[in-house]
Amino acid sequence: MFYRQSGIYHTRYEATRRLWPIPFERWQVGVILLLVLAAPFYLSALYLQSYLLPWLIWSAATLSLTLLMGVAGQLHFGYAAVMAIGAYSAIHLVRFGLPFEFAFLGAGLIAALIGCLFGAAALRVKGLYLVMATLAMQYLVDWLIINVPAISGGAHATLQAPSARILFFSLENDLVRYYFALAWAVLLTVFLLNVKRTSFGRALVAIRDKDYAASVIGVNPFRYKLLAFFTSSFLGGMSGAVLAFCFYRAVTPEQFSFNVSTQLVAMVLVGGLGSVIGAFLGAGFVLLAPMILTNIVAMLSDFGWLNVSVNLLSHLPLMIYGALILGFLLAEPLGLAKIYDNIRNYFLVWPFKHSRR
Amino acid sequence: MKNKSMKKFSAALCAAATLMLAPASHAQEVVKFGLFHDFTKVYTFVADEFSQGQRDYLALLNEEGGIKGHRFEAIVRDHGNEPQRGIELYNRGREEGAIYFDFLSTPVANAIAPRALQDKVVLGTPLHGRGDAMVGEAFPYVFPMMASYWSQAARLLKYVEDTQGGLKGKKIAHVHIDTPFGREPLPILQKLAEQKSFELRTFAYPSPGNEQSAVWSDVRRYRPDFVLIWGAGNSQTVSVREAVRNGIDPAKILSVVWLTETDMKNVGESTAIGIKRVEVVQPGRDHPIIQRILDKVYKTGKGAGPEARVGNTYYNYGVADMVIATEGAKLALEKLGPPLTAEKLKAGLEMVNNLDTKGFMPPVTITPQDHQGGGQARVSQWDGKAWVPVSDWAAAYQDVVWEEARASAAKFSQGK
Repeated sequence: MFYRQSGIYHTRYEATRRLWPIPFERWQVGVILLLVLAAPFYLSALYLQSYLLPWLIWSAATLSLTLLMGVAGQLHFGYAAVMAIGAYSAIHLVRFGLPFEFAFLGAGLIAALIGCLFGAAALRVKGLYLVMATLAMQYLVDWLIINVPAISGGAHATLQAPSARILFFSLENDLVRYYFALAWAVLLTVFLLNVKRTSFGRALVAIRDKDYAASVIGVNPFRYKLLAFFTSSFLGGMSGAVLAFCFYRAVTPEQFSFNVSTQLVAMVLVGGLGSVIGAFLGAGFVLLAPMILTNIVAMLSDFGWLNVSVNLLSHLPLMIYGALILGFLLAEPLGLAKIYDNIRNYFLVWPFKHSRR
Repeated sequence: MKNKSMKKFSAALCAAATLMLAPASHAQEVVKFGLFHDFTKVYTFVADEFSQGQRDYLALLNEEGGIKGHRFEAIVRDHGNEPQRGIELYNRGREEGAIYFDFLSTPVANAIAPRALQDKVVLGTPLHGRGDAMVGEAFPYVFPMMASYWSQAARLLKYVEDTQGGLKGKKIAHVHIDTPFGREPLPILQKLAEQKSFELRTFAYPSPGNEQSAVWSDVRRYRPDFVLIWGAGNSQTVSVREAVRNGIDPAKILSVVWLTETDMKNVGESTAIGIKRVEVVQPGRDHPIIQRILDKVYKTGKGAGPEARVGNTYYNYGVADMVIATEGAKLALEKLGPPLTAEKLKAGLEMVNNLDTKGFMPPVTITPQDHQGGGQARVSQWDGKAWVPVSDWAAAYQDVVWEEARASAAKFSQGK
């Protein structure tokens, strides 16, 4: 059902290499794209500004981290620090007088260089030890921002995003900010969908699966591990800049603390390692579930169906949230993307029971 | 269960009856306050009591008939100290019609401040948020309303100056948590050190401050005349314990506003007798406002939390926050008339002039220029059972504080 494959004949190589060979999926992608493009016209400011916009930006950040963790297999527990470098660089560069477009690129470059520096640890250590090295990055960057007032923005450690223009559109406008974030998320999605089909992406996958084996078949681990850190930090830094300019508009060190790093890792893991749709689902779940649960619980309490103290009321969503994560991961250890994939596979061969993979 | 629903039913009947009997002028307008706090992550040490105080005072006003036919409704939610959740609650609160917001979390309040300025809704930031928001011209819709951290640091130094016959040559240690909050008073302390020629040395311990032993042996070697401790929640109890363990006389320890009865109980009530703190509201139940709350809210079972908490320091801070906010609402309704909007509430708050609470807090005067409300505070001392005031309400070195605030606010205005 839905995902009809009958009538699809690959007669040319281009056709087999398409991203979505099944017509229904092309429709799906098109409809979703139309829905998000038209979102400002049918969503209220509340849902646009505090649900969809942060979801898009966090998805972009998750996609950048997915490239490193999911595709190249290098763990990173200090990704919020990478985003912080991007956010602070972008703001300082714009304040310095650079046009936003260049500051945006500069933010990516600075984040990539510093990210590479710590990523260099990956050349020597793996797994949990790499986690420690990236954790060190998180704490060093945090410490530096807090202790250098010139970076953090003075005694209050709050730095306003200056007014800026992107290609003649002022970022002061809510719509411009939304469409800019949307464009960035779409760009990253297209990049990540395609990167696995390039020699670069295949080299990263080879390294993820076994770096010795990769070097035996001629993939230089030194080069590709560094490149993975460079590319991912570049994109992460730019996502941080988008977060600062389009959503927060005032950055503080707390916005990029260790908690945020773990949230980003959770987004990648809950969504499904290495999956593009997983990045969107994971970011949506980790970011929006606490908000939605808080509102549901508060609504139940307002109706008088849940008569508990405010303290318990505020902890209930967290308990449900934790149970949900456990539940999802127990049901499908490969993440939300795999759950989607299972559903898709079911319909792919419906009414039969087994799909051939 | 049945009994409860019967009660509800009869209460609803009564309400309906009074509604029908009440003349049309008593038809009550509802003023909504969005009181979103961090009940689950970092600010848990204060949020519960603070929020209870806020809700109880609003309940008291409603019990007493509201203000000019206006009832107050508190929307209370948890934002977990996360800016994105705070922003969601802020947008939702605005859609529900809230005109006053209080987030009791510096990162969240700082993320909201530019939005509140743009959307023209009132953001109360007592004891959190940006210290330079006291400059009304730069932050027309942000109201710290109580002495900022800068004013608190200045007040503590002023106390030392008053009791020691001057600050000259004194050695003062600033022991703080290594976060923006801990570092915030540094510019004021440094300026005053220069002006009053005392020696200042800072000691930072890493957040969250559960382990501070290394720092305190340094402090002991420095042999300071006075020690400022600048932390919050558990890090404060650790600081006090370590200071005492290192042989520092508690009477020489001066704390930021975050140190309470509960903290002293955790340290051990008699461990640090004589330790001092700055306070902006009178703690305890010995005040008409608190008595009214006990009488009219708790006796009728409408309290927002356990009665034992009434009169705790943070509880009273929550009450004081609402006393000022509702005074603004009252003035707005008197002078500008209904319906009460955020713009009118802002104007009303700026009309608060010498608000007399009979000693519950210092007289508060908010003007379009000064959103700090005068910046008065006092020093109190732990006597083993309670905090006893050892100084009068007074503002200290406001020239230095305002100079720093204006410079910082100017940067904020340019940044826009």
